[in-house]
Amino acid sequence: MKNLSELTDFYYKVLFVALKQLEKDRKQLQSRIIVVGVLFTLFCLILYSFVFSKMGSSTDIMIFFAFGYFSLGTIIYKMLIKDYTKEFKEKIMHPLIKELDSNLSYESEQYLSQTYFRDSKIFSSPIDRYSGNDLVYGKIDDVHIEFSDIHAEKNHKNSKGKDNWSTVFKGLFIVADFHKHFKGSTVVLPDSAQSTFGDLIGGWLQSKNFSREELVKMDHPEFEKEFVVYATDQIEARYILSHSLMQKLLHFKTRSKHPLHISFIGQSINLAIEYNKDLFEPSVFRSLLDYKIAMQYVQTLHLCIGIIEELKLNQKLWSKQ
Amino acid sequence: MSTNLIILAVIVIALILMYNSLVSKKNQVENIFASVDTQLKKRYDLIPNLVATVSKYMEHEKSLFTEVTKLRSEANKPNISDEHKIALDAKVSSALGSIMVAVENYPELKANENVMHLQGSLNEVEEQISAARRAYNQAVTDYNNAIEMFPTNFMANAMNYTKKDVFEITQNERQNVNVKELFNS
Repeated sequence: MKNLSELTDFYYKVLFVALKQLEKDRKQLQSRIIVVGVLFTLFCLILYSFVFSKMGSSTDIMIFFAFGYFSLGTIIYKMLIKDYTKEFKEKIMHPLIKELDSNLSYESEQYLSQTYFRDSKIFSSPIDRYSGNDLVYGKIDDVHIEFSDIHAEKNHKNSKGKDNWSTVFKGLFIVADFHKHFKGSTVVLPDSAQSTFGDLIGGWLQSKNFSREELVKMDHPEFEKEFVVYATDQIEARYILSHSLMQKLLHFKTRSKHPLHISFIGQSINLAIEYNKDLFEPSVFRSLLDYKIAMQYVQTLHLCIGIIEELKLNQKLWSKQ
Repeated sequence: MSTNLIILAVIVIALILMYNSLVSKKNQVENIFASVDTQLKKRYDLIPNLVATVSKYMEHEKSLFTEVTKLRSEANKPNISDEHKIALDAKVSSALGSIMVAVENYPELKANENVMHLQGSLNEVEEQISAARRAYNQAVTDYNNAIEMFPTNFMANAMNYTKKDVFEITQNERQNVNVKELFNS
């Protein structure tokens, strides 16, 4: 696998021509968005003042207008950037992923199957709406890996019977083969109870989590501080989470800089990194040549593919070889 | 009158809860020890095969093989105490470790498929044992804490529960066995 600086070099050198062209498109798009935005806002204001003069002021109408303005605005915005996004993914993301490892494939409009998400047992609440994009999949060092952007939502009915959507997870979801045999399930979650309520009460609350399996206390203080582990089997959980793997997961968590949920089920390891935004999308209001923007794409990709080497998933146990 | 009754009820419930939690902690320790035992047996079962395969090549390490065979027959005796099993495990681990290090000095052994297979199986059992040991130690720590902490210590005293030993985790075990390096070296 290429390292981070080689990949950055590739981004700026090989993709430079494509980036230049896209940068031109981006500037045009930016001014188009501003013009359309201003016109749309003016149109809405005129319409609102017209309705206001006819029907008088009421909070219901104001909410209706605000809602209409934002939702219609979002649709128009998405339509405007559609071609540019497609171009970006074809000309930048696709070569970047191929450069990272030629065994990887990329489908910009597909996403990880919901079965993976559900079977991972990371999120216990039911999912009513599931979407995503930017699916990357392939085999590296004989380890199958697959990841994509995922947005999973839950539906609540409010008092008026209207649908209300809340996000259960938004971010990157990674599935990869695990190098050890196991039968049960082990789920590793960010430790919110212990960090909010302290060791004693937090620990007690964790052990009373009925939607989860048995609580497993790990013998790694740093890991225990960051994460909480639930598993079907106390010994198996420790077989999977050896001291070195715990150390590596901690390191991975520090590198990703976002809440990390992990589970070991079936023959795979599932990682859900909560970015709370759609990744691998082209920047519209900042230059694609901006170092910070470029690093976002390069680093995130490198982080995902890097788990195979970082967690040593390619060093299979004797009986799995 | 009724206040006294309520106080009495609360005390009785508290006693029942303490009693149950102590019993469940003791059972957890026993349960996990049973798993440790199974894994240890798995390793003991590998020993005769290992000795048979490598001892004819390794003339200088005869004493290691006698020791490991002796330890195995001791461990297979019926009715040995948990403490004794824990002590035997530590000895076997170190003896097997020395044999594996010694194997490195015999190139023809390292290339032997049977030896490689044994090494692989042994490594896997070692990892399982290590996980079982860690689970056991956690269960014992919970149990020992309950026995020493207020107010369960009074109950534990009355029930004649005593502190249990933990397995010593060696520094070696804190690092994962690196299968690839083992075979490449």
